[in-house]
Amino acid sequence: MDRVFKATKQEMLESLDRCMSTYRVAALTNKDGRPMYDFVTSSKQVILEYRPTVLPPKKFFFPPTETILEYSKDGKMKTVIEAEPLVLFGVRPCDINGIKILTEAFADVNGDPNYLSRRENAIVIGIECAKKCDNDDAFCTKVNAHKVTTGHDILLADLGDDYLIKEATDKGTAFINEFLKVNKVDAKEFDDFIKRKEAAFAQEDSAFKDLERLPEIFSKSNEHPIWNQEGERCLSCGSCVMVCPTCYCFDVKDQWDLNLKDGKRVRQWDGCMLCDFAVVAAGENFRNTKEARLKHRMNRKFNYLMKKHGQAVCVGCGRCVRACLVDISPKTVVEALNGEA
Amino acid sequence: MSVQLDIKEKDVNLYLPEKVRIKRVEEFTDIDKFFEVELLERDSLKHNPGQFLAVSLPGIGEAPISIASPPSDGNTFELCVRALGELTNIFNKLKAGDEFYIRGPFGHGFDDDIIKSMQGKHLLFILGGCGYSPMRSLINLVIKEPQKYKKISILYGCRMVKRRLYVNELGTISNMGGNVELMQIVDKGDEDWEGEVGLITTLIPKVSLDPEDIVAIVVGPPVMYKYVIKKLLNRDVKKEDIYVSLERRMKCSVGKCGHCQIGGFYACQQGPVFRYTDVEDNEEAL
Repeated sequence: MDRVFKATKQEMLESLDRCMSTYRVAALTNKDGRPMYDFVTSSKQVILEYRPTVLPPKKFFFPPTETILEYSKDGKMKTVIEAEPLVLFGVRPCDINGIKILTEAFADVNGDPNYLSRRENAIVIGIECAKKCDNDDAFCTKVNAHKVTTGHDILLADLGDDYLIKEATDKGTAFINEFLKVNKVDAKEFDDFIKRKEAAFAQEDSAFKDLERLPEIFSKSNEHPIWNQEGERCLSCGSCVMVCPTCYCFDVKDQWDLNLKDGKRVRQWDGCMLCDFAVVAAGENFRNTKEARLKHRMNRKFNYLMKKHGQAVCVGCGRCVRACLVDISPKTVVEALNGEA
Repeated sequence: MSVQLDIKEKDVNLYLPEKVRIKRVEEFTDIDKFFEVELLERDSLKHNPGQFLAVSLPGIGEAPISIASPPSDGNTFELCVRALGELTNIFNKLKAGDEFYIRGPFGHGFDDDIIKSMQGKHLLFILGGCGYSPMRSLINLVIKEPQKYKKISILYGCRMVKRRLYVNELGTISNMGGNVELMQIVDKGDEDWEGEVGLITTLIPKVSLDPEDIVAIVVGPPVMYKYVIKKLLNRDVKKEDIYVSLERRMKCSVGKCGHCQIGGFYACQQGPVFRYTDVEDNEEAL
């Protein structure tokens, strides 16, 4: 494990074409002139130069809606797991961290069979960023999410005409063996790439002041004026949670098919920033102000879940900032609380 | 954090409900019904008092409902359902013989260690409205062997006389005598009501208690907790001797969907039964 290989970009792309008989392939592609992660049927559709997407690749493991149960009026009932073999190509460090966090969350205590099956059936091929992406809203360095630890199966480094290819899991190794013609190179080549990358990123913002202490800082900041200041502007539209690579709240709904004999239980993305997220049947809303909802979501990212995952659960991808109609950013909140502002 | 990608056997059917059958239905109030339910796929529920089930009607959905019966080795359990939401309105039209589905039991209730720690102590239940049901599992467990406890006091308050639950059982409990006492109160009486009228907090000063050996259990509508707890603390009941059970919206019951979060806690995992000291500083709890 952790061996490093080299292949041309062309060879890497051809491996995607070769694996299509076994796997569906998803990658960064253009759709109506916009970059997005989507299924491709030929490597010609793949964009290698990163451009920020609206949605993170989370949707391949935790789709906006998915069936978890099927039943019929005559009393039959069975669980549904829709996982299929997938190669997800070109995931960047922020999103690799997002997948890492989501996988930990869905595996924790009660393993979610739907998410875990999808992840288990997928090979995630990540690509290191050589420099910070062209996205003013991103702040990955602030939360150290430009650094990759786990979450991927293979990691690439862009050398211009070639990729360095680092195996990270047995699944990744198996993919390299089966589909790629590669030359083994000294693992130091990858380390050197990382050193150059770190130097380039060091020119950017450094991590939030007291990053490791944010859970403690957030715990003591319930009364801070930033909650009201930012919360009051919130439109409760939920865009931030829909585009977030680490948000995983969901709703569960039942629906009958048109034949009125068969039905299914589906789960779909939900968001704690929406007004009625915490309303119980008796009508009580346990989080009934915009301020309380913003505080909750930010505490999930930098306090409650950060303690559990050992890293900020915001990966600084900047998608929520771009999606927000009133420019609310996690960065503003953190910097108000840790005194950087 | 290490991640287990292989799906554990216990989790394969995390979202698969099991079929059960209604044995008996009793109409409690205009909106509350009591159901005795028979398990069809296993011998017993093996639950702790305070735990809940995800009650499931295919085509309608799921709702978290507290288990109202005490732990038992038998193949039946009991629920009391208030018709408030989409599922419960349809559920309360079910009749004996009808089948529905459950997942669970879920949540952290009164486990064996907590129940053991209560022995020899004065148990003070302070319950409001349909908050009686989640604690009936514990009440009916402890009144089976009242000699194990110093005293058992049950304070039960309801908004309306006609919305009181378990009226027959309350009659039996009030006649038990010995170290079991029951006090009832309603916000608004009617022409037949001869008991106390007012808020449940007015009953607390009437209980004779020693703060050194008391355990208080508080369950009711959201607005009730802070006033009741204030009264208890005024009587020198120690914070660590107070338990609460908290209701929240739930969608998955297994700590994923996020709906039931109370600050950093999931009501379906660390709750619904909490020690007061665990939630007193939690802005979202009480």
